[in-house]
Amino acid sequence: MVIQPGKCTTTQGDMFSMKALSPAHIAQPSNDVTVRFRRASGSPCYPSHNSFREAAGLQRFMMAADSEPESEVFEITDFTTASEWERFISKVEEVLNDWKLIGASSGKSLEKGAYTTEAWEEKSDEIAFADFRFSVTHHYLVQESNDKDAKEELVEDVLPVSMQDLLCMNNDFPPRAHCLVRWYGLREFVVIAPAANNDAVLSESKCNLLLSSVSIALGNTGCQVPVFVQIHHKWRRMYVGECQGPGVRTDFEMVHLRKVPSQYTHLSGLLDIFKSKIGCPLTPLPPINISIRLTYVLQDWQQYFWPQQPPDIDALVGGEVGGLEFGKLPFGACEDPISELHLATTWPHLTEGIIVDNDVYSDLDPLQAPQWSVRVRKADNPQCLLSDFVNEFFKVCRRKESTDEILGRSAFEEDGKDADISHALSKLTEPAPVPIHKLSVTNMVHTAKKKIRKHRGIDESPLNNDVLNTILLYLFPDAADKLTDVSEARTSTSAGSLPPPDNEDYNLYIQFKSAPSDSLTYKLALCLCMINFYHGGVKGVAHLWQEFVLEMRFRWENNIFIPGLASGAPDLRCCLLHQKLQMLNCCIERKKARDEGKKVNSDRSSADTGKPDGSKESDKEKEVGKSWESWSDSEDEFFECLSDTEDLKANGQEGGKKGIPKDGSKETISLKPEGRLHQHGNLTLLHPGDPLYVPVTQEPAPMTEDLLEEQSEVLAKLGTSAEGAHLRARMQSACLLSDMESFKAANPGCCLEDFVRWYSPRDYIEEEIVDEKGNVVIKGDLSARMKIPSNMWVEAWETAKPIPARRQRRLFDDTREAEKVLHYLAVQKPADLARHLLPCVIHAAVLKVKEEESLEDISSVKKIIKLIITHSSKVLRFPNPEDKKLEEIIGQILSVEATIARARSLKAKFGVEKCDKEEERKDLERFVNSFLEQPEVSVIGAGRGPAGTIIHKLFMSAQRLTEPTEETASMMPLDDELKRSGSMDEKRMNLGSAADFPLPAGREVILRTTVPRPAPYSKALPQRMYSVLTKEDFRLAGAFSSDTTFF
Amino acid sequence: MDEDILTTLKILIIGESGVGKSSLLLRFTDDTFDPELAATIGVDFKVKTISVDGNKAKLAIWDTAGQERFRTLTPSYYRGAQGVILVYDVTRRDTFAKLDNWLTELETYCTRNDIVKMLVGNKIDKENREVDRNEGLKFARKHSMLFIEASAKTCDGVQCAFEELVEKIIQTPGLWESESQNRGVKLSNDEDGHRGACGGYCSVL
Repeated sequence: MVIQPGKCTTTQGDMFSMKALSPAHIAQPSNDVTVRFRRASGSPCYPSHNSFREAAGLQRFMMAADSEPESEVFEITDFTTASEWERFISKVEEVLNDWKLIGASSGKSLEKGAYTTEAWEEKSDEIAFADFRFSVTHHYLVQESNDKDAKEELVEDVLPVSMQDLLCMNNDFPPRAHCLVRWYGLREFVVIAPAANNDAVLSESKCNLLLSSVSIALGNTGCQVPVFVQIHHKWRRMYVGECQGPGVRTDFEMVHLRKVPSQYTHLSGLLDIFKSKIGCPLTPLPPINISIRLTYVLQDWQQYFWPQQPPDIDALVGGEVGGLEFGKLPFGACEDPISELHLATTWPHLTEGIIVDNDVYSDLDPLQAPQWSVRVRKADNPQCLLSDFVNEFFKVCRRKESTDEILGRSAFEEDGKDADISHALSKLTEPAPVPIHKLSVTNMVHTAKKKIRKHRGIDESPLNNDVLNTILLYLFPDAADKLTDVSEARTSTSAGSLPPPDNEDYNLYIQFKSAPSDSLTYKLALCLCMINFYHGGVKGVAHLWQEFVLEMRFRWENNIFIPGLASGAPDLRCCLLHQKLQMLNCCIERKKARDEGKKVNSDRSSADTGKPDGSKESDKEKEVGKSWESWSDSEDEFFECLSDTEDLKANGQEGGKKGIPKDGSKETISLKPEGRLHQHGNLTLLHPGDPLYVPVTQEPAPMTEDLLEEQSEVLAKLGTSAEGAHLRARMQSACLLSDMESFKAANPGCCLEDFVRWYSPRDYIEEEIVDEKGNVVIKGDLSARMKIPSNMWVEAWETAKPIPARRQRRLFDDTREAEKVLHYLAVQKPADLARHLLPCVIHAAVLKVKEEESLEDISSVKKIIKLIITHSSKVLRFPNPEDKKLEEIIGQILSVEATIARARSLKAKFGVEKCDKEEERKDLERFVNSFLEQPEVSVIGAGRGPAGTIIHKLFMSAQRLTEPTEETASMMPLDDELKRSGSMDEKRMNLGSAADFPLPAGREVILRTTVPRPAPYSKALPQRMYSVLTKEDFRLAGAFSSDTTFF
Repeated sequence: MDEDILTTLKILIIGESGVGKSSLLLRFTDDTFDPELAATIGVDFKVKTISVDGNKAKLAIWDTAGQERFRTLTPSYYRGAQGVILVYDVTRRDTFAKLDNWLTELETYCTRNDIVKMLVGNKIDKENREVDRNEGLKFARKHSMLFIEASAKTCDGVQCAFEELVEKIIQTPGLWESESQNRGVKLSNDEDGHRGACGGYCSVL
């Protein structure tokens, strides 16, 4: 072989060094080898040449003309028989090309800690060697691109940046990093590993083949990024690799052992290996740079026991419900969320001879180490109460069963059999045309309710009576006095609807579309959550829900307001269930007002006019007053409203409606104004000149969002045609008509102009004009649009009869709406219910987390909570959010809970609370909180700082307890393992404070130097060896560079 | 239906009675003007598909009655609207003065807080103007609204108003997209992003 400068030599040298190639692989490349050899020996070779050709499709190719200007001869290169191996190499080259890893690498030496603070990224690709798949991954530190100016000042013969990294001391022992970064300090590298997780390259020949491929590919492409191949089983993390630069090469080698030969457990032994591996021909050897890190693990937290016990469920079930606070969510981890503390003591910069560390003596006293850093190991999935609660509740969303299926049988069915005879009788006497869905009238329900309680009893029902009663009392605080006086219930309602506190936390329900935190809905959600967790799971949920629905019906039928709901129309910003309950309350309110008005009215009417059925009804009323158990509302829906026939009668008397003022003689009765609310300013009627009164009007119908949706769909379906618009207006004119009728009743003798002046004042145009006498008078007239003949306003006005609101047909059929709501509630499965209430539960969980955080004041958690809130409000505002997104939110809450629990655990462990001095306590608090944000926290002042002292004490007290056991251990017959630890123990005894610490769980040593290899006249190049010794693992990772010129 | 419609937007027109809400809508949808348009009862509804920047959007526009009494009825329709056009009559100061009330109402009943609001001063064709353009501008700026003056009668600014509004809605992230797009925040970095024996980024112990 002719010695040639440059890369080709390297390539070739490698090819020849592949003694271990299997015959099968040798056989195939041999066809092509001639080409390669000729090229290598004949002329300078072009790194890109090979890959270029191969990219062209492995075809016959004239190579001489363009790539070898010297040669005049045309040669035909035959790739038709290219081997799998060659193809593999070309694929590697292709990948390196694709990722633009070709050419000289550059870069400045990195800042301290850059490997932790900057982001790492990776790119992957898959290539195959025959049918064996490899994944190629490029790992790299993302650097701000100041590459451009760096490239310009590129000098020839600069070492590849990876080789420079070998010596850089700024990023030793990174807290979290790819193992190759930890071992070699690289900022960029490529790994070729078997793609399948259980595949491995085991035989030595295959390993060599792989490494050779890398070597050839690097040589051919001129890539300066180190490339590693993973060999052996993946768990062993064995890598070999190579990095090539102009005239230099670094080999990455590795030793991995289960047991350490005793001579390598200390520094002097490692130095010996390093020196012999370098084989440096110089004497004296250039100084070797040493960095050492010893890591100690603390598992026994002696003075500290995790204080939080999981709640005692048995105590709760056993009737001890008093201690259980409904409406409060539990919080915290059930086990210590911090399992271990790792103390790393580091000597970042030593030189050989400064310290002694051999098999009999060591200078490495952890207390004396110049750098201390601590990390904590977090328990993997600490069981946290709040998240468990929410998660379990979330699981209910996926149940398919209906309430009845879960409870085993229908409660009503059972009730039907042994219904009370008296009730059966009363049912018979009730009027016949009762709609089917109202069969479940109060008396039935109430016996049913009793039956359920009685029959299920303690043994059968999922919820025992005490628990159930406590919950019901919590949900319905007014129930305590409801049996004594119905009217008192009202006061409690009004007390419940105090103006809500106007703060951010309270208004969270708007973002989450849940319900206010003091509302019944919210409380119900919390109770169901608790029942689900502690009291019979989904069965308990179904049972409580059934009770709840019964209570709702009871309240509707007995005119008792539902407590804990803001009064007024359903709040569309809340969840649908909350709206439904509010709707029910609206119905109750209307019904109650009606019933009360009826009482007065019927009293009056029976006294005055003596309506035929008046006495009967007032009897009914009294009956109601006595016992609402037997009262059914089903028969008198339109008590206050005249029935249609009565309407007609009344109107018949009035005769022609248009000209009310005209035929006054007949109208004496109708002229009596009715339903006046108040006078409307100073306005007077245009014709009689009487004051204009604003009438009592019917409230518009309250709507829940689903009804609204339905209605707007109906309205939208009418289309955009003129007829559609007309029909739409007509459908909505009921309210207008009702108002007109009320107005007419309140203002006898009024006209449309009067109405418009009240209702739509801008449609009555007043102008100052000078009349014949020269006086300025104000003349008013309807606006043009009101004067359009037969427009809907005029039409409505003409049909409107003077009827006060209370005698009008109801715009809002509370009976129907209430029954709809009750039916809706009754058919909700536990899963539906859970979905309805999940926003409330998430809302509550977020509030809880927020509250707990405020006690600890952790800024990172604050930020995350904010993110959770914005995230949830995005997810929850839409109907039917995806499960995946909900899970995500719950997961985020879990992580926050765990973080807070960790903070508490750490604070207790480091005794933050016990610290007297204000300033020290602040420092300590900061130190503890930084564990939550950083993987590794450096201890200010190392072993002598305040935190260091505490850590020292923690280790000491743990050590004192384990000492005796170690002594007994050393008394036992010595096997190999113990021999080692025994000798270490002895060694430890020599050291003062070192005895306070256990044996280091990890010993990391980095040895570095720059020496010429392989010959004394070669370039001085970086050499590095990293060693790590843990309990059952010993690894040497060496990177040895050599000058390839002349070799 | 058309396949290429990007989204359906719900738009609301509110304002005092008689300011010309229905006329504006009629001008926009049918390009006609009827000086004798009956006062709206409750809500009315019209549909129009428009194309803004090449995006086709179907607008479902709800026109509401301005009368005080109807107000108890109409806020239910505010629900889910992405855009709202608030109209006043430049020739009647009282309609301008009432704008604050409308905004409060909007805030109370609107289910989303990022709704796009547009202020339209209508009837600029009339002579007896009472509200200066600058006043409208100031009000709009104060409440972060779009602002335009228009005339349903002469067609001035009507088309433009609707187009601007739709464009703004489309530009507002999260306002109209179907929520299939994953816009969740990522709070924790993936610990297991790496396959292979190293387990990605590990510590020595």
